[in-house]
Amino acid sequence: MIKKKKTPEATIPTSSMADIAFLLLIFFLVATVIDVDSGIGMTLPEFIDDPETVDVPKDRMAAILINETGDVLLDGQPISLFQITATLKPRIQSKIDLPKNKKLIVSIKTDRRTIYNAYISALDQVKEAFFEVRDEYSNSRYGMKFNDLGPEEQNEIKEAVPIIISIAEPEKIK
Amino acid sequence: MKFEKKRASTKQEIPTASMPDIIFMLLLFFMVTTTLREVEVLVNYSLPEAKAIEKIENKRLISYIWVGRDGRIQINDSLVKMEDIWGIMYNKRQALPNVIVSLRIDKNTDMGFVTDIQQELRKAYCLRINYSANIRI
Repeated sequence: MIKKKKTPEATIPTSSMADIAFLLLIFFLVATVIDVDSGIGMTLPEFIDDPETVDVPKDRMAAILINETGDVLLDGQPISLFQITATLKPRIQSKIDLPKNKKLIVSIKTDRRTIYNAYISALDQVKEAFFEVRDEYSNSRYGMKFNDLGPEEQNEIKEAVPIIISIAEPEKIK
Repeated sequence: MKFEKKRASTKQEIPTASMPDIIFMLLLFFMVTTTLREVEVLVNYSLPEAKAIEKIENKRLISYIWVGRDGRIQINDSLVKMEDIWGIMYNKRQALPNVIVSLRIDKNTDMGFVTDIQQELRKAYCLRINYSANIRI
């Protein structure tokens, strides 16, 4: 057998490795901003100079009006902001089996002086209603929450419960 | 009298050989999650709160518009006027067709102001927007 030659030790000194790593770590710790961008997603309509008006049957529409003091009207009835979800849910549910062009449209209209916070709260309530209906519907069909479904099933639920929210322009003259 | 402490004869050392590995793991985590902040926010704002919020999956698509408590508008690094939004956002959309505009608007802003911004965005064809909001627990 050939004996292996004893090689002189050629090691990189690793004792300072931890220090270097710590330095880098501290840099990234300081530089990290963990703020997830979250919010309420919307799609604006395209800008058309003179839009056509299409008549929508009254039972398809849920019109929410918010005035400058934050009072809410839902289809002409005064309502508390936090009741919007509960009121809209049965109306969305009743339209699950209807064809695509008969689903509920929620329209939110504000005053020019309405505070943004009130508008977001109302929009939040509306979205919450849609999400809850989606969750319940997917639970009854697949026994899972909407977020746990596969993309195909999600699309199917989205077809059945589409989120249609229309943001009406506030009136110019007051 | 002599007091002698009873000590176990085992070694009293914490093995530190794997320390760099652990640190590197942490380091990698932070390196991956870090997004270095490119812009300095010049306006003062506090976001509204909401419950039914979604996370934006793709951070690269986002472009921000800040609106401060005093009604100043900031895009990128500078304060802009209402009439300028259209041009700036139009160029942004040319560069990035499916841009998501994240509106970071102070919660006490008037809706009329918000609508004006939205009209500008519609003219610029930036139709995907996101009302930035903090989660309410």
